[in-house]
Amino acid sequence: MAGTTESLARFAPELVLSATILAILIVDLIARLQPKRPSLLSGVALVGLSAMAGALWLTPTGDTSLFTHLLAFDGLARYFKGFFILAAALGVLFGHLSDEISRSRLGEYYIQLLCLTLGLSLLASAQNLLMLYLALELVSLPSYVLSGFRWWDRRASEAALKYVVFGGAASGVMLYGFSLIYGITGTLQIDGVAAALTAAATGGQGIAGQLGLLMAVMLSLAGFGYKVAAVPFHMWCPDVYEGAPTTFVAFLSVAPKAAGFAALIRFFVVGFGQPAPGAAGFPWAEILGIIAIGTMTLGNVVAVTQDNVKRLLAYSSIAQAGYLIMALAVGTDEAIRAVMLYLGFYLLMNMGAFFGVQLAGGERLSAFRGMASRNATLAITMAIFLFSLTGIPPFAGFIGKFYLFAAVLSVGEPFFYALAIIGVLNSAISLYYYAKVVRVMFLDKAEEGDGVVEVSRPASALLLALAGPTLLFGVWWAPLADLIDKASSILR
Amino acid sequence: MPFDFAVVLIFLAVSAGFVWAAMFVGKLVRPHRPDAQKLQTYECGERPIGAAWYNFNPRFYLLALVFIIFDVEIALTFPVGVVARAWVEAGHGLTVVVEILLFVAVLVAALAYVWGRGDLNWVRDLEHEAPLPPVEPPPDAALTREVHS
Repeated sequence: MAGTTESLARFAPELVLSATILAILIVDLIARLQPKRPSLLSGVALVGLSAMAGALWLTPTGDTSLFTHLLAFDGLARYFKGFFILAAALGVLFGHLSDEISRSRLGEYYIQLLCLTLGLSLLASAQNLLMLYLALELVSLPSYVLSGFRWWDRRASEAALKYVVFGGAASGVMLYGFSLIYGITGTLQIDGVAAALTAAATGGQGIAGQLGLLMAVMLSLAGFGYKVAAVPFHMWCPDVYEGAPTTFVAFLSVAPKAAGFAALIRFFVVGFGQPAPGAAGFPWAEILGIIAIGTMTLGNVVAVTQDNVKRLLAYSSIAQAGYLIMALAVGTDEAIRAVMLYLGFYLLMNMGAFFGVQLAGGERLSAFRGMASRNATLAITMAIFLFSLTGIPPFAGFIGKFYLFAAVLSVGEPFFYALAIIGVLNSAISLYYYAKVVRVMFLDKAEEGDGVVEVSRPASALLLALAGPTLLFGVWWAPLADLIDKASSILR
Repeated sequence: MPFDFAVVLIFLAVSAGFVWAAMFVGKLVRPHRPDAQKLQTYECGERPIGAAWYNFNPRFYLLALVFIIFDVEIALTFPVGVVARAWVEAGHGLTVVVEILLFVAVLVAALAYVWGRGDLNWVRDLEHEAPLPPVEPPPDAALTREVHS
């Protein structure tokens, strides 16, 4: 355990981020009348995020826990912090190029976005149930505000309200679960839970204790399930994605989901041992596996009928969460590395796909009609992102899915074979609706009124910058896989 | 062990049942003669002047939020004041001062932001006649927030 001074040194990335948030607040206030204010604000945000990345790079390595065991400082936390910095930087760039965020409120948007990022980075390293809850709320509150950012739009206010009500209920249920865990094990530390459970298991636990534990974990799962949009906590997802500004949805669909997975990994793998051996006699792996089956099947089947591309991608992101939970159910180190690798690819392809929707100037499927002739760059990059999300070679998504399925199959039990088969069938379904968008873009003719889609040069460059790695990682993923091998240490 | 919980369960069942039983007995025994006067909303003896379900001016909430800035400040400065003497004796006086100043500076930044945006004025300058339902996105959404008086 690190003392306060050492903890502060390892907490430097978050401190830099907090300073950036304040700097944006002040710049926004002082430069009210500057015509160049948007560029100035984006500049401050990007410089701050780069400084945060630098601070993360410079923090001393070596796993330890900070601030009297509240936060873990390990490979998992560091990897996800880097992930969030990248996602936030893309979020800032998307916001800068977006016409949904009025220029006079850009500062407000960045402040909320970076507060959210601060919450995400705390969530990925939280090692104490209370800290975890606080971080989750710090993620949720700005999300609500940003979902309703265009408050005059009825769909946006509906989205924000649904999100608040659903989020409030989910975190309340989760808090109840945490209180039960505390009651049963007598500790709020996630690593302490494991020790308490082992002690209880050897001491012989009554049926009441076992039932209580099952209930506690299922209730806690509600909070995580809501963050990663797993069935049956997925209902908010399509409506919020539809109503919120597209530029924010790009961020929302990736970063909080990844943070939810980081927290889930810590909660299950650290707190409940490797879930596979069945801590305290309960089949955690099977419970997570069944949630995974429900999540991916519902996401894929409902996505088939969507004609709003934002809703389609919302259901697709539910399905993607299902594949990831499937690997999480395995819970081996190999599976965790596969989840981390897939999330890395998911960042590129999903943010890219939403950025494509943002640039297309419409979210109905018809807005993409004949896109190949209206803006070839947009059509081609969008096709790359969608095929990568399907998991077709030679795109990064294929490699990610390959690792996920390999991890599931390596268990070698009938349940996991069945899980993998359902996963593959689901991937086949997903091809239909992803390819539907591609078909509309390339095979349908542009009709009258479908003009050329103007995309500014920086936006095209950004699209290509996201599509390039999506292709590159599909054939040469070793660097990222190596990075994750080094980074996947978890404090146990 | 499970029997301890059985006591709790029986207690819950009896207490829930008691409510129903009391209501049911009351319904059997009491007279039922409502009139207009009786059905009126009860407002501490005052004559009701209207429905209670209407929109309050959101300004109240905003000011309450601004108040929290000061509230948090005082709540978190007090503990520092209590331990400050011990820290000064240990030779960390400067650390305490710098830390608390940093903390207050963060809160002052929030206050400055609210002030700079004109949210402390009870009546804000509007570019249109209030109340106006914003249907179309206004040109500058930040400055045209609706005020009900």
